[in-house]
Amino acid sequence: MSPAKRLALVLAVLAAALLVTGAVALFVGSAAISPRAVLNALAGRAAPESVERVVTLSIRLPRILVAVLAGGALAVAGVAFQALTRNPLAEPSVLGVTSGAAFGVVIGQSVGLGWTFLEAAGLTAFAFAGALLAAGLVYLIAAIGRELSIQTLLLAGVIVGIFFSAAITVIISLLDLNRLGGVIHWLLGNLAPIPPRALAVFTLCAAVGFWLVARRARELNLMALGEETALLLGVGAERLKLTIFVGAALLTASVVAFAGPIGFVGLIVPHALRMLLGSDNRLLVPASLVGGGIFLLLADTLARNVVAPAELSVGVITSLCGAPFFVYLLRTRYRANL
Amino acid sequence: MPPKLLELDRVSFAYPKPAGRRAFALSDVSLEVGAGEIVGVIGPNSSGKTTLIRLLTRVLEPASGEIRLDGASVRRLERTELARRVGVVPQSAPAECPFNVGELVLMGRYPHGPGRYFESRQDHAAARAAMEATGVLEFADLPLDHLSGGERQRAFIARALAQEPRLLVLDEPTAHLDLRYQVEVASLLRRLHRERGIAILLVSHDLNLAGEVCDRLMLLAGGRAAATGSPEVVLEESLLSSVFGCDVVVDKGEPGRRPLVRLTWRA
Amino acid sequence: MKIVQWSLALFLLLATPAAAFTTRDMLGREVTLAAPPARIVSLVPSVTEILYALKAEDMLVGVTDFCDFPPQARRKPSVGGMVAPSLEAVAALRPDLVIATTEGTREDTFTQLTRLGIPVYLVAVHRVAEVKALIVRLGGLTGRQAAAGSIVTRLEQRIDAVTKAVGSRDRPRVLYVLWPEPLIVPGRDTIVTELIQLAGGRSLTADDPDSWPRYSLEAAVAGRPEVILLANHGAGTGAIAEEKWRRLGDLPAVKAGRLRSVNGDLLHRYGPRVADGLEQLARAIHPEAFQ
Repeated sequence: MSPAKRLALVLAVLAAALLVTGAVALFVGSAAISPRAVLNALAGRAAPESVERVVTLSIRLPRILVAVLAGGALAVAGVAFQALTRNPLAEPSVLGVTSGAAFGVVIGQSVGLGWTFLEAAGLTAFAFAGALLAAGLVYLIAAIGRELSIQTLLLAGVIVGIFFSAAITVIISLLDLNRLGGVIHWLLGNLAPIPPRALAVFTLCAAVGFWLVARRARELNLMALGEETALLLGVGAERLKLTIFVGAALLTASVVAFAGPIGFVGLIVPHALRMLLGSDNRLLVPASLVGGGIFLLLADTLARNVVAPAELSVGVITSLCGAPFFVYLLRTRYRANL
Repeated sequence: MPPKLLELDRVSFAYPKPAGRRAFALSDVSLEVGAGEIVGVIGPNSSGKTTLIRLLTRVLEPASGEIRLDGASVRRLERTELARRVGVVPQSAPAECPFNVGELVLMGRYPHGPGRYFESRQDHAAARAAMEATGVLEFADLPLDHLSGGERQRAFIARALAQEPRLLVLDEPTAHLDLRYQVEVASLLRRLHRERGIAILLVSHDLNLAGEVCDRLMLLAGGRAAATGSPEVVLEESLLSSVFGCDVVVDKGEPGRRPLVRLTWRA
Repeated sequence: MKIVQWSLALFLLLATPAAAFTTRDMLGREVTLAAPPARIVSLVPSVTEILYALKAEDMLVGVTDFCDFPPQARRKPSVGGMVAPSLEAVAALRPDLVIATTEGTREDTFTQLTRLGIPVYLVAVHRVAEVKALIVRLGGLTGRQAAAGSIVTRLEQRIDAVTKAVGSRDRPRVLYVLWPEPLIVPGRDTIVTELIQLAGGRSLTADDPDSWPRYSLEAAVAGRPEVILLANHGAGTGAIAEEKWRRLGDLPAVKAGRLRSVNGDLLHRYGPRVADGLEQLARAIHPEAFQ
């Protein structure tokens, strides 16, 4: 089968799985609504102001869209970072970007962004600023002259991540008790419906990030053999590294800004797909976009239903999956090649 | 007179030096490779052999001097253009290579269509032809780790061939290989040269291999060209002894046969 | 002519459609409903208590997991925790008003609820006077103004009784421990501080500008408290270990055996039980006044 056909088949299967997962997610929730009522609401036939309309269209659907988008973005960022650093343990939070964004949000929340101008915009801007600050710092530390050193990149990412995490801890320890619950809640990673305009911006940022990474998927394959080899084959390695770094950072920053810090998606999804599809990034990158969406949607559906009406943080679910997965990875490292 | 395929014109290069290291890795080196020639670069370790290859492929930039391909400075060539003319077989494969042989060889087609997401049918045909030529077609679906040293080396040669270069550069192609594979690779190179008229630049510490296979040799010592010429000229006893720092004996053999370098073992 | 004028006036009065119900919450925000609220979701345990005290529990359609007083409140549908209640659960109850506090619930929740078209009424209580104000407000919201009035009156009577009993005795130095580790104490802007004052004591941490500052153990004992009160936090959380404090044998409080547990629910919530809390405090600080 030609690779293009294989890609199409994989995407078709994943898309089908995504639709099924999406349907399930639409039908379950704290508010007991029959599937028929949900379908009515989707078709626009539900009475305005009715429970099913509000819940389905204003709560569940936006939240599902956020989950799919965030999961896909994180997974693609994971593939990108793993290919960039040639390290299977790399994932967005390893490069400090997640911590930077979280730091931005914590600052915003503790400054009290008086809740009158608390549109998603306010905190989102803070998150973006924090993420880009962290990414910039990592780049500055890792770049020697105009060349980006990969080993230093990982280390720089870890250092920057630790720095911002420590900063967050300091702020938390000084925070007013009343605000503490809210901040910690955010830090655990929780998905919530966001307004259409914010969703549009999120989609745009994620699309740009995805495009930056996806169009260079073939070059990423060549980079797997080492930078020198890639250069020998005609790949502009410096530009590639920068492009991938920016793309992955953008993906991560937008997820944290609009959905919160969620870990492990960028680690688990690429590896799971690699086991099924092999290491060709031309398949992995698009497949991760859809696969990541499925994974996070499943995790979030679980998170909001397992102890209803209370909700678990989706970050808790992904961490519970992530930790044992990490161990598994470490033990089978030599078979889980990049 | 048509420009030579490859010209190194008084090239110098220095790695950023830690204290105590020699100042220059390469100093004022000149070399020519004509279309269809087989040229060998020999010399002790850290004489600058690998540096030369890296300069040629623009992994490094020379401090002074120029490198020209078909008369045009490589600095002005697009990387993909360079990769279409020069195929490099590196010394060793990276530790973890997740790809199989077919995928590896296909990578050699990148410079012919860098904008493509997937390879074209012509790319697949060229890769196939390259694998056939090097006798690794049967391994196409096997992961690289499953191949022996010699087979893996041939797979990398196939990748370089898939680039359809006019110059094939090999960095220590027979290092770490069993004798059998050394012979295999040497005869493969000769066959490729004969059948395709491809020029070959061979960097090797194996003096006899270089002497057998190459039309001309350049002996590098301390970053300088100590001698350039035919194997008979370069593989000369006193020259080799002084460059390598030990006693060697060169059997000239009958005229028509290449000289053979022997080590002498003192008690 | 007069009859016509009067009839007209009467007619206009009766014919006027019920005006949109507009009010201001405790943060000064304007809250507008189509009609006086009939389905209320309470995200504040204190508010739940007050609504039951007002006998307005029929209007209460949803509470949080933490609304445990009175016990009947547990039987109301829950929308989850206080920090981030489930939006779906709230929406499914079709409330026309959600009462919440910024001190305990995430602001994002208010934004989301507003976006869903559900009005949010915010409360904030740091003083006894504000407790009374809250009861009155809730009475206004639920149309139980008379009940509210009598609850407030009763509250004032009980407070007066305590202040009278305590009289002009010496004010011992009181250390109130909300949480032992990290050591959290009440600052200037909390009800507990005012209640300690009313109960005839002097809170050592009353001047701190934060509401609930964290103190080091050193700083706390540096003031040489004469009475130490350890808050326990209601059913399920148990009493804070008094052992640790007993070990600080040199403190006047420990020497005099004046180390006591108090019921935190009575003191940190701001409903009618504040009077119970005050009485509890007064007994702990001036036991001799209540023999």
